[in-house]
Amino acid sequence: MNMPTVEAMSGIESRPIIDAMSFIDHRAKAKNLINIDHISMIYKNSAKKEVVALKDVSLDIKEGEFVSLLGPSGCGKTTLLRIIADLLDPSAGSVRIAGQSPRENRLRQKYGMVFQSPVLFEWRTVRKNVCLPLEIMNVPREERERRVDSQLDMVGLSAFANSYPFQLSGGMQQRVGIARALAIKPDLLLMDEPFSALDEFTREKLNEDLLDIWHKTHKTVVFVTHNISEAVFLSDRVFVLSPHPGRLSSVIDIDLPRPRTQDTRESPEFFALVSKIRKSFEGVYRLS
Amino acid sequence: MKHSKALVILAWVSGVLLLWELGAYLLTAVIRDPMAGTKLPYPQSVVVTLGGNWRTLGQAALVTLSKATIGFALGAVVGYLLAVLMSVSRIAEQIAFPYLIVSQMIPVLGLAPIIFNLVRDMDASRIVIAAYITFFPVAANSLSGFKSVETDKRQLMYSYAASQRATYAKLMIPSSLPYFFAGLKIAAPMSVTASILVDMLGSKSGIGVKLLYSLYGGQVDIFWASVLTSAAMGIASYLIVLLAERVCVPWRTVALVDTGVRHE
Amino acid sequence: MSEKIAKVLLPAVLGLAFLALWQFGAFHSLLGLERFQLPVPSEIVEALAAHLPKALSDCGVTVSGAFIGMALGSLLGFAIAVVATAFPSWGYGGLVIVSALNSIPIVALSPIMNRWFSSGMAQKIGVVTIVTMAAMAINAYRGLADLKPFSLDLMRSYVSTKRDVFFRLRLPNCLPSVFTALKINITSAMIASIVSEYFATSTAGLGFGIKDNLRKAEMAMGWAYITVASIVGILLYLAIVFVERKAIAWHASQRPVNADGVKEKRKMRAAS
Repeated sequence: MNMPTVEAMSGIESRPIIDAMSFIDHRAKAKNLINIDHISMIYKNSAKKEVVALKDVSLDIKEGEFVSLLGPSGCGKTTLLRIIADLLDPSAGSVRIAGQSPRENRLRQKYGMVFQSPVLFEWRTVRKNVCLPLEIMNVPREERERRVDSQLDMVGLSAFANSYPFQLSGGMQQRVGIARALAIKPDLLLMDEPFSALDEFTREKLNEDLLDIWHKTHKTVVFVTHNISEAVFLSDRVFVLSPHPGRLSSVIDIDLPRPRTQDTRESPEFFALVSKIRKSFEGVYRLS
Repeated sequence: MKHSKALVILAWVSGVLLLWELGAYLLTAVIRDPMAGTKLPYPQSVVVTLGGNWRTLGQAALVTLSKATIGFALGAVVGYLLAVLMSVSRIAEQIAFPYLIVSQMIPVLGLAPIIFNLVRDMDASRIVIAAYITFFPVAANSLSGFKSVETDKRQLMYSYAASQRATYAKLMIPSSLPYFFAGLKIAAPMSVTASILVDMLGSKSGIGVKLLYSLYGGQVDIFWASVLTSAAMGIASYLIVLLAERVCVPWRTVALVDTGVRHE
Repeated sequence: MSEKIAKVLLPAVLGLAFLALWQFGAFHSLLGLERFQLPVPSEIVEALAAHLPKALSDCGVTVSGAFIGMALGSLLGFAIAVVATAFPSWGYGGLVIVSALNSIPIVALSPIMNRWFSSGMAQKIGVVTIVTMAAMAINAYRGLADLKPFSLDLMRSYVSTKRDVFFRLRLPNCLPSVFTALKINITSAMIASIVSEYFATSTAGLGFGIKDNLRKAEMAMGWAYITVASIVGILLYLAIVFVERKAIAWHASQRPVNADGVKEKRKMRAAS
């Protein structure tokens, strides 16, 4: 990947030391960005039965943290993410992001969202797709061009700026989605199983790329996934949710050192954490 | 092994022409039908007539088409705007949708003589009828286009706190274009047919007049040439819309049902 | 519940308002017409009531022509689609020919049929048959040929014969498209039948009735005939929808919308 700034270049050379320090640092004095307080979500399904998607979930997410919401289908992780994004109204409870409601957060365009499928507009080129939110926010043209170029650079797709989505592979399309989410320079990045539709090799590569981007930009990331290894590899903390009804069953601290690489995946600590999480499901997981 | 499409079509067209030739031969030479000429002429004689009269036929076709085109454009614009209105306002949709469906049941071509009786003016009738015929398929198909925008895309725009205007300009309208053109493809040949019908109701020029006069005047060759010309007009109108679609909708999209994505 | 009521009430109110305006001359003043040029609804209803038996018998003539022609055309169209499916590389041409035939305006087809057949009914059926072939051919072909991925492979793994594949897979798969074509065809058939009567040598039928009444300046009757034609068209269409509902109850188009039940924010729907 291209590294245009001096800052980033020096970051690479001395990364291990700086990261260890910032790691301790950000854990120690980071304040909460998101407060989720007794959130419940109940709705009626097509058979008119009541479904409890979320029951009394409370958790806090610190600024600059990378957290995962992990669990099998039906545990409410996507529902919770959508509540944070103001795409759903909870039945009970409240969410505050930097002291504001999700609605206010959305109206002030404070978060970037990446969906399960890339959701690119077929009629726009890659460049114009990344440009879309900037157009809506009335960012002046020169600034728009600058940001689009730098984002495409960051995800390594500058060569494809004038291609159409159908000419790109699934993984590349998703990278465009990420570039687009970052273009508005949000404080918060919400990701809803963005890599679940991709093959294992692409997924692992994109995991690393994502961490790379995160290191450079210091955003807060809330990442939804059903893949235990992915959650452990990426996050500072993993919130494990279980279904029927959807609830928070445990919070696991991931104290693996950063930057995390392929080697991290092979380490015994990694396996131990994955194992720990998997075991916490065994008693809880039931087929519906 | 897949044969090229052009080859296949060529083979079929030749086959049909052969059958046509054969049929005409059977009628005149074998069965010796006295009315053979009016039932099925020799392909070559039709071609000759076409060649000889292409100027008059072409002019007649132009007269018929010109006013129809204005009506067609008018109907298309109004139809699309109605679809936008119905997409924006639930109430508008609830009120207008049943009538949209019902209107597709009204024998529109049957309405032509009545409209002509009301309007009296030949040109105005052509415009009104063409607009009416175009209006409803365009509105129904365009509305279908608006409704088919994926939820994900709408949620994306919502997450950007995009205004309704921005959502329409950047998402809804580009999405609806393929469907708009599907509606136009249905309406175009129908508008041509309607215009020819109006010709026959008492116009002085136009391909419909040629059809009628040649029929009753016993000019069998001209009659068949006119039939072919009108068929060509129908096909041409469809192809023109197809071309316009290639220009306006250059991105690859999902194939739509050819004969009309209607009110389902 | 109130949503359902609104669905029926609002259009009904608009319809009644429209009729009322018409009755009380709003359109007359708007378009500068006299009463004899544009009859009002009450006159139309009167005229219809006075001549009901004839109107109904004429209706029967037109509908039977439309029906028979549609049946013939649909069968032929379906046959063409089957041929195109059975011979994938070559069959395509048949569809092109049929589409080309479809572009011949009805108004040109009608005089041709008048030459070929001597009875008014036969002429009508001829026109309707040609008009309805294309829609069925194209839709049926799509239904027979466009199978879900791997379904052919599945059948092959069961060592199915071509006959098996046709009857067990392709035929059921094409039913939804066939119904779409039928819905389109019923409308085209009615129009074709009526227009054909304008030119045909028949002395009965809705088309003839409209032409005749306009000629005699009996405007109210002419409008009455159009009304009858429309109502019949709607009824026939609804009949097909009813049959469709029973025949392909399993299809996605027959399911209610929004089967996931999660309440999305109302704002988002308004933005759509």
